[in-house]
Amino acid sequence: MSRWSYFAKRLVLSIPVILFGTTITFFVIYAGPIDPAYAILGSQATPDKVADIHRQLGMNQPMWEMYFDYIVDMFTFNLGNSWVIRPDLTAYEVIMDFAPRTVLMGAWAVILPLFVGIPLGFYAGLNPNTLGDYTASFGGIIWRAMPNFWLAVLLLLVLSRSEEFLFGFSWESFIYSTPVAGAPDMENIWNFENFLRASKVVIPGAMVLGSASMGNEMRIGRTAFLEARNSNYVEMARAKGLPGRSIVWKHIFRNALIPLVPVITAEAGVLVGGSVLVETVFGINGIGWLFFTAMTSGDLPLAAALMFLFILLLVGLNILQDFLYTIIDPRVGFESN
Amino acid sequence: MAVLVIVEFGALWGGIMALPWDTPMGLLTGVLPGAIGGAVAGIASVFADAGAWLADLPTLLSREWIPNQGHRVPGGGWEGTFLGLEPAYAWVIRVAVVYAYAMFTFYWVWRGYMVFRRHYRYADWTPADDMIDRFRGHNWGKFGLVLVMAFVVMAMFAPTISPTTQEQNIMDPYSHNIEYYNDDAGQVMETSVGQANLLSSSKGVQRNFGLWSYDEYDRFHPTGTFTNGKDMFTLTAYGARISLFIGVFASALAGGIALSLALLTAYYKGIVDLATVVASDAFMAMPRLLVLIMLVTVLADHWVANIYSGGFIIAFLFGIWGWMGLWRAVRGPAFQIVENEWVMASKGFGERPWRIVKKHVAPYVIGYLLIYLSMSLGGYIIGAAGLAFLGLGVTAPTPEMGRLIAAGQSLVTTQSWHISIIPGLMISALVLGFNALGDGIRDAIDPKTGGDDAAGEAAAAGGGG
Repeated sequence: MSRWSYFAKRLVLSIPVILFGTTITFFVIYAGPIDPAYAILGSQATPDKVADIHRQLGMNQPMWEMYFDYIVDMFTFNLGNSWVIRPDLTAYEVIMDFAPRTVLMGAWAVILPLFVGIPLGFYAGLNPNTLGDYTASFGGIIWRAMPNFWLAVLLLLVLSRSEEFLFGFSWESFIYSTPVAGAPDMENIWNFENFLRASKVVIPGAMVLGSASMGNEMRIGRTAFLEARNSNYVEMARAKGLPGRSIVWKHIFRNALIPLVPVITAEAGVLVGGSVLVETVFGINGIGWLFFTAMTSGDLPLAAALMFLFILLLVGLNILQDFLYTIIDPRVGFESN
Repeated sequence: MAVLVIVEFGALWGGIMALPWDTPMGLLTGVLPGAIGGAVAGIASVFADAGAWLADLPTLLSREWIPNQGHRVPGGGWEGTFLGLEPAYAWVIRVAVVYAYAMFTFYWVWRGYMVFRRHYRYADWTPADDMIDRFRGHNWGKFGLVLVMAFVVMAMFAPTISPTTQEQNIMDPYSHNIEYYNDDAGQVMETSVGQANLLSSSKGVQRNFGLWSYDEYDRFHPTGTFTNGKDMFTLTAYGARISLFIGVFASALAGGIALSLALLTAYYKGIVDLATVVASDAFMAMPRLLVLIMLVTVLADHWVANIYSGGFIIAFLFGIWGWMGLWRAVRGPAFQIVENEWVMASKGFGERPWRIVKKHVAPYVIGYLLIYLSMSLGGYIIGAAGLAFLGLGVTAPTPEMGRLIAAGQSLVTTQSWHISIIPGLMISALVLGFNALGDGIRDAIDPKTGGDDAAGEAAAAGGGG
């Protein structure tokens, strides 16, 4: 099987995957023990109002018809309405209103560990069994064991009293004066100053979110680097008399990246789940927080729409991972058979 | 050995009886038709009574032997504590005795195993011997084992090592009275625990009882008090119990699913394998924490959510949404093992597939599975704590570390920092212990790989809070 037909196969297989997740969500939300109409109305539920909402949600139809409508709606991005959080808006508008903050935080959460974790891991792999290696490895192990939300609480503590903990360094007035926690202002984000200002607000959250991936990237980067360094082709290159710099970058670095690809994309799942906790602690009203609030305040249709988007996001990242594999690793498609 | 277990049998049994046994029985009797159901219920109640009786047996290490809940008497000194010592010392002695007992039992089992291995076992050598010997030389793994054992002992003996009892301090404080020495009145007075708790709360600036402190009711708090005056150490000890239950139950469920699927796909390959790949992709496409938030909120009023204060449903869902990474991690090794000649030979012998995989494949796969299970267990504990932090899952008043952290979050900049910090440290230490143990098991089982399967490990462990 060639590389690209392998990739195409993965692409086709993602359709049942999306369908499965959407189906589960549908049955949990619309056929679960809680009737969404009662959840929306709360204590103001009267038979009339309930029947009205049932009609609007299409719940007066037979189950299979409703299911079919729901799937078609979702796949055509007809996400329905928000009922409790912003009753005047459609789900799509609400999500678009909340999403940029999470996207900004998520982007930083992927970028920060990439530029900290991987270099540290490679450093440790280049100088194995030195003090620096042990410090980096041990730090990574401890870091991995700490719950994200607790780290967030700790970071909030340190930053809000940064003068005491960081020897007079004040986080609040660093570069721009911003609050330590709270929602970033997303207006005019393409203006560089506004971008920095918003970034500064989300970076503590991004650091916490990225922490788990940072530990993993460091560990795996270290072993991958070590393995590539001790491999035969590197020895061969050295025997040929290639300069050290060229060996490291052309022969070690590229091969060491292969095992890191799944780690980087797998962290996206952690990111989506972890954003709920981190956004709650830092008071950033992004879509993780929106999902949690929609769930707890009874806006079940909105939560279902969000879940569909999360599933799409994860499946998309999976496809991206396969795509990267296909490009980087020429063995793909051969070893699978 | 027998003596060691017998003297503590009551306490161990108490730990077992603390699990939600009545639920499966209740479910069973509900499903079965009346007459049989009644009979089953009758039999179950006999077992429950026997269990309760066993749990109430007098034990060597009961808190009554070394009491620490005394009060001061006029003119100095303490009454009601062990040898009239200060409650802090009495408590330290009791904890030390419990851990000494646990260490001694562990040592005794270990010695027994070594003697058995050297003198009584028929075979001179088994592959497991090498693994155990490699683990003995693995300091990091042993460190993890010690941490995990420390928490298991803490959870098992929670009623004994906590400075006060759960009944009195957490569940039902207004039905219990304590005596204390009132400095103003200069005499010993009596009050209800609930009342005392109200005035022993840690609330930052206005009132705080931090680490290693006494409150005004002569009660000792090794790790301070909670925001409502309950004893933090008691809360965390019982919290460790429910955290470990969630971690172990979810791991067992996820591991069981992963193992059976790994055997199935390795043996039959082809379409079964493809179907499982798609199924695991499908489960993985749903972010676990969000699915749990969704299901836990939807099931909040359902009877399932009341089993073990909500701990059961969390553990169950973590198990259902936890097998994918484990399965992927053991799929490769399982495929390799099935290729061995001995599997082919037993096929040629005409053995049944179930028997072949059980006897000739599973023992090897289980080894690999243990590594990843140990890694993912920490993820389940962190995830459950994360849900509790959001106010979902394990319901009050049953303590959960995540909820303790959430309650202390706003006080973390004040004197009452211990409310958030102590449970966080406990979770980190517990998860660190399981991770280190996993490293040790990996190096013991397969010294050659030495960690280059870290990607699978990350996939198995990932997705916590």
